[in-house]
Amino acid sequence: MPNESKVSVKALPWFYRTKELGAIFGTLIFFVIFAIISEQFLTWSNLATTFTMAAELGIVTLGVTMLMISGEFDLSVGSVFAVVPMVMAIMINHGVNEWFAFVVAMLVGVGIGVANGLVTLKTSIPSFITTLGMKMFWRGILLAVTGGFPIILSHKVGLLKYFGGAVLKDLRYSAIWFIALSIVFWLVLERTQYGNWTFATGGNIGAARALGVPVMRVKLVNFVLSSTLAGFAGLTTFGRFKIVDPTLGQEMELEAIAAAVIGGNLLTGGYGSILGSFIGAVMIGMVRSGLVLAGAPGYWYRAFIGVILIVAAIINARIRKKVAG
Amino acid sequence: MSEYIVEMRGIKKSFGRVQALKGVDFSVGRNEIVGLLGDNGAGKSTLIKVLVGYYQPDEGEIYFEGQKVNFKSPWDSRALGIETVYQDLALVNLMPLWRNFFLGRELKRKIGPFKLIERNKMRRLALESLKDVGIFIRSPDETVAFMSGGERQAVAIARAIHFGAKLLILDEPTAALSVGETRKVLEHIVEAKKRGISVIFITHNIYHVYEVADRLVVLEHGEKIGEYEKKEVTPEQIMDIIASAAGVK
Repeated sequence: MPNESKVSVKALPWFYRTKELGAIFGTLIFFVIFAIISEQFLTWSNLATTFTMAAELGIVTLGVTMLMISGEFDLSVGSVFAVVPMVMAIMINHGVNEWFAFVVAMLVGVGIGVANGLVTLKTSIPSFITTLGMKMFWRGILLAVTGGFPIILSHKVGLLKYFGGAVLKDLRYSAIWFIALSIVFWLVLERTQYGNWTFATGGNIGAARALGVPVMRVKLVNFVLSSTLAGFAGLTTFGRFKIVDPTLGQEMELEAIAAAVIGGNLLTGGYGSILGSFIGAVMIGMVRSGLVLAGAPGYWYRAFIGVILIVAAIINARIRKKVAG
Repeated sequence: MSEYIVEMRGIKKSFGRVQALKGVDFSVGRNEIVGLLGDNGAGKSTLIKVLVGYYQPDEGEIYFEGQKVNFKSPWDSRALGIETVYQDLALVNLMPLWRNFFLGRELKRKIGPFKLIERNKMRRLALESLKDVGIFIRSPDETVAFMSGGERQAVAIARAIHFGAKLLILDEPTAALSVGETRKVLEHIVEAKKRGISVIFITHNIYHVYEVADRLVVLEHGEKIGEYEKKEVTPEQIMDIIASAAGVK
């Protein structure tokens, strides 16, 4: 051995290194509480409905998570969640082929992501601001185009079944999409070079750049992912309701960020996990349905999520300190 | 074969009306440690950034191993074996050691149409090559946030050695370190030299570099104001040269 400089890194118990620890425990606790309070909670119908609702939020959360880990925000996802199905609905009502309408609608979602990314990266304005502007802009367009009224499909559209139609009684395709996309993005984040670059870009952008990571491209791709997934999630809701309301997805951006933070993602980037976001979205969906089943008025839901969010953030910060100094 | 691993001739670089480099000649011999000294704003960083291709020179030529080179980006220079370790930009604190070690050069294997990273191989290789330079770490999954500044420098140096650097550029490697840690980093630099690597050691503290350097180059206001074999000068003389050039008597 040459010079024996010893690095004294303490080995931590394995469970501390599990980023999703807090979210897993929290979800289990709520699960048990709701199962005790309400008899209907543990029925297939309720669990399937709960998971479907969680899935629509969850798909949005996946994209928001990727972007958040690379150090940026997307507050426009709630608006994109409505814009994409709205474009598809209007085109279909004008007699356009449903597949063509689907492709164009998704391209609009992609385009908004590109715009978010380019404006943010070229001008160095914080993404909090650019995407806030984008959110307001598109919500305004939605209301202006529709006059505030929902768009109802003029005829049956077979394609929609595969976004939000039923698979098994109350379980819908959105749940399948959520699971499939979660696995894909878990792989991307944990097992690919791109995932490593996403962590590095959000963790220390200067170091990432110095080591040859194309940080601007990483961020741009994640802006596009975030927007595209939000648009796709909007289509799953559209598939469920067959109707698009111009106020669809309002405040969804904040719920998605809440789900990500509950799942252990660091708001300032560089740290987080897809599994955590998955669990965070499931927890929010579960609390929503559990409170209703427990007989609490619907208004309580937001108040409850607010408290959970803060408690989760505190617990996760403690865990992270142990893991990452 | 040229006697120099890198040779820069008549390098000029301006930013707007500010002339950052006014025709600098700078060279590093094979297996040599060169201390690049100068006060803040002397042009040290600009010279290095021109060398690695971060900036392109307005005038002047760069030769690497005797061949004229024209680096368009730091990627080009790294491909030839020039590794730079920046003071605050070496590692990502929130990431595990193994992810840091291979950042930008992840090992991948193809699975069908997809490329996945080889996590266990990278974990093992990171530990092995750290052990090789005398750094012992229990788990490659630990985040580097737990390490001290000196340990992080050591990891960055080990990484450069692992990836076959021929020329290692260290930007203020000892700036924020305690005396003991500085000593360890110096040992790692000597270790790198033993493996045949040339080193450029950028600092404004002559006492840190003097012990390990073979040659000392002093920059001031974008010009080279002195170049000495270590035997010729004492640290005090160098200090005087830097101070008087900067107008502090």
